Amino acid sequence: MLNIQDVSFRYPGAAQTTLNAVSLGLERGRVLGLLGPNGAGKTTLISHLVGLLPIQHGEIHINTLPLAQSRRECPMRIALAPQEYAFYPMLTVAENLSFFASACQFHGSRKVVRITACMALGQLERFASTRANQLSGGLKRRLNLAIAMLAEPELLLLDEPTVGVDPQSRAFLLDAVKALAQAGTTVIYTTHYIEEIEAIADDVAILDHGTILRHAPLASLLAEGGALLTLRVAAPLDAVKTMLQSFGSVQQGGDGEIELQLNPEASPAAVLQAIAAHGIELQMARYGSHDLERLFMHLTHRQLRDD
Amino acid sequence: MLFALIRKELLALLRDPHGMAALFLMPMAFIVIMSLALQDYYSPKNRQLEYAVQDQDQGPQAKALLAQWQHLHNAATASPADWREALRAGRLRYVLVIDKGFSEAMSTPNAPRSIKVHLYAEPGLEHALFRSTEAELAAAVGMQRSNALQERFMGISSPPGQDIPAMVSAERIGAGTHPTSVQQNVPAWLVFGMFFVVTAISTLFVQEQRDGTLARLHAIGVPAGKQILGKALPYLLVNAIQAVLMLSVGVWLMPHLGGEALSLAGIHWPALILVLTSTSLAAIGFALMLACLVRTHAQASTLGPMCNILMAAIGGVMVPSFVMPAIMQTAAHFSPMNWALEGLLQVLLRGGDLAAVLPYATRLAGFALLMGMTAVLLFHRRVKS
Repeated sequence: MLNIQDVSFRYPGAAQTTLNAVSLGLERGRVLGLLGPNGAGKTTLISHLVGLLPIQHGEIHINTLPLAQSRRECPMRIALAPQEYAFYPMLTVAENLSFFASACQFHGSRKVVRITACMALGQLERFASTRANQLSGGLKRRLNLAIAMLAEPELLLLDEPTVGVDPQSRAFLLDAVKALAQAGTTVIYTTHYIEEIEAIADDVAILDHGTILRHAPLASLLAEGGALLTLRVAAPLDAVKTMLQSFGSVQQGGDGEIELQLNPEASPAAVLQAIAAHGIELQMARYGSHDLERLFMHLTHRQLRDD
Repeated sequence: MLFALIRKELLALLRDPHGMAALFLMPMAFIVIMSLALQDYYSPKNRQLEYAVQDQDQGPQAKALLAQWQHLHNAATASPADWREALRAGRLRYVLVIDKGFSEAMSTPNAPRSIKVHLYAEPGLEHALFRSTEAELAAAVGMQRSNALQERFMGISSPPGQDIPAMVSAERIGAGTHPTSVQQNVPAWLVFGMFFVVTAISTLFVQEQRDGTLARLHAIGVPAGKQILGKALPYLLVNAIQAVLMLSVGVWLMPHLGGEALSLAGIHWPALILVLTSTSLAAIGFALMLACLVRTHAQASTLGPMCNILMAAIGGVMVPSFVMPAIMQTAAHFSPMNWALEGLLQVLLRGGDLAAVLPYATRLAGFALLMGMTAVLLFHRRVKS
């Protein structure tokens, strides 16, 4: 459904490119979790998709059509729910939905149907006459999503849609996104909350310094950690790392931990035996699948919320 | 703690160039502009008025009177053949017409009352200025007559005051409306008020950009031109309501407060609507351009009013341009508020029709077009930033 090929972008006057040869593909009805620290290039990529920034290099296709042609034919194929509350605070919920429905050029019964459907999607019926600036953070997020869904987009871009909401509203929004994807909407979901990606994403792309570091189905990424052995020992790390190099590639993790990516022929038991044989006190050992946050830190060497 | 608070406040101020401009540059600009504009305010104001002379007498007394008049006032402008039309259109402020036989009458004790010096003023000349010019003319004629009689009768001093008023006549050329404080102030502050849509437009625009609604509208394919038009049209209505309200205040409220009523009797309504529409377009165009230029609420709430006040000060809204020195009067011609004000005065004071207001309306429409085009260009850049 979405095919991004080799897209690069440099802001005028900037020393470095914001996007470096980014390539991504996404099939219809799947949710792509786009992870990256601040300044990684997520917003630039989204701006390309909604036509706010011209493509300097590379190509983007929507359903095999070039993006520009797709936007010319049907700009509402792609909808954006930005991280800001992109509606009019002095208008009521119903007035906001009505305005944006008109902006989508819906009239008559089609307009009424779409407003009703999106009001229901956000469970906003009780607040139809409430001014948007009087809504709670969670309700504002729901309204933001409801407006984005007015045009029944094929591709929905959600930029940090759960910032500042309570747990109930977050759960509601995540369920809503899942339901939309099941109904056939393709979703790109950016967030700083990795647990949200783990909850709803089918695919994950990790973006840093404008480069896609990893793009794969979520299950595959998590399974990658199957050969990762994490150790904490009471001994000088350099000596231990030298000893472990015969079992695989060694990296120093956080909190004095050692991360050992085992060679195919190596086993965790053999490593533990070797440590014991060298008289090294083992304080902790963890073996098994990655969690996404560890993978992210492993790839980017930064926290997700780092600037 | 207090030191930290003070330091924070000063740093925030120092890093806000628009706030600094509002605090320092605007008052400085005002001092310069208003000082220049008012530098002649306390000297006789009628001394700078542009006038012409029709000397039908050509005698020595007429020449002496005109020499004295020109000594105290600017030199007279060459009198155009259609000087009445020039007065009606406000191209001349007044014309002195000296009847044939004036010199003889001046030195005759019982001069015929039909021979006069006429003061014809343009319809927009401020009432006090008109009366003071008439009084000054009467005094000058009186002095001239006194000198003439003394000269003729070798020391006989005739009381000149008795028949002097009969030798001077004063009237306005043009519409029946006479300029009053209300007649002058309503158009001036109406123009000022109409241009103040800049604050409302730019504040909402900044909010829309900050909230991402502009990006959202762009994403669903709403064209920039349509978005700009969607902003402009409501303010045409706002300006129309402003005009109706302010004219109503002049017509109905002011008499109840003891003031004179604004007279709309006999005015050319299509001309008024043309001037108001073109003024509204210019104000909205300027507001849209500024809205697309500013980036923060602080800029929106200071830059717009600041520009408006400066345009008003230069354009003769705060101080009538005819009391300004020549250089400021020239500068006034570059202020859209001056075009709007002059257009309205043409209709409300001088009985101007469509042809009379067309030059002003054209300038305003041109300004609106220029500003609108700039706004569209800036809008494209802004929505993508």
